[in-house]
Amino acid sequence: MIRITRDDFDISALLEEARGDENGAIVSFVGIVRNDGIERMEVEAFEEVAEQELFRIRQEAIEKFGVTSVDIIHRVGSLAVGDRIVLIIVGASHRKAAFLGCEYIIDRIKESVPIWKKEYTAGDSRWVPGEHE
Amino acid sequence: MPGVREQGLNRVITVHIRAFARFRELFGDRFDLKVESPATVRSVMHEIGRRNVQGISELLDHEGNVKKSVIIMVNRERISGETRDDHPVSGEDEVALYPPVAGG
Repeated sequence: MIRITRDDFDISALLEEARGDENGAIVSFVGIVRNDGIERMEVEAFEEVAEQELFRIRQEAIEKFGVTSVDIIHRVGSLAVGDRIVLIIVGASHRKAAFLGCEYIIDRIKESVPIWKKEYTAGDSRWVPGEHE
Repeated sequence: MPGVREQGLNRVITVHIRAFARFRELFGDRFDLKVESPATVRSVMHEIGRRNVQGISELLDHEGNVKKSVIIMVNRERISGETRDDHPVSGEDEVALYPPVAGG
């Protein structure tokens, strides 16, 4: 499943869905709104392009690491401290491919998927700078 | 030709702009822009800059070139490389601009 959504997700259910005969390992990554003295965060996306780019990244991970299943869910909208932002679930025959694939996917998301975050404190706000500015 | 009309002696085309994150705040999220033809990424960015003089320094450097930190898509294709500023823009094209991404 590749999805940009305003809704939260059920990690347990999605992990269960990823369990299949050919997956000997499943690795998941969950990005969470950290308490950096902020009240909330707004996540914005160029949704049509972001989803297309996530599909491209999934295909890259499959080709580079031979992973067998990839789910990516990225949330948009208003999120509070502790809320989940992104979920990646990668299944592979063996653990190494699953770990490498998962790390590759989150790194690529931070590099190329058109999504931005704005943090709000009590009296101020700021755009989170990209890691590739 | 779609999106083209005569305005005095100049041919004027309409392009559809989408802006995101801080560029959305500066210029608006979605609007139509009239530019003289032949248009390029550079001429479109100059025209967008006219909408908000405070925002123009976010788009253009002192020599009038589009800043490298401005990411441009024309019809959902990312435009990059040395000739990016001269990339042609046609009537009814969608031009998207956004800052470096920060998702995940």
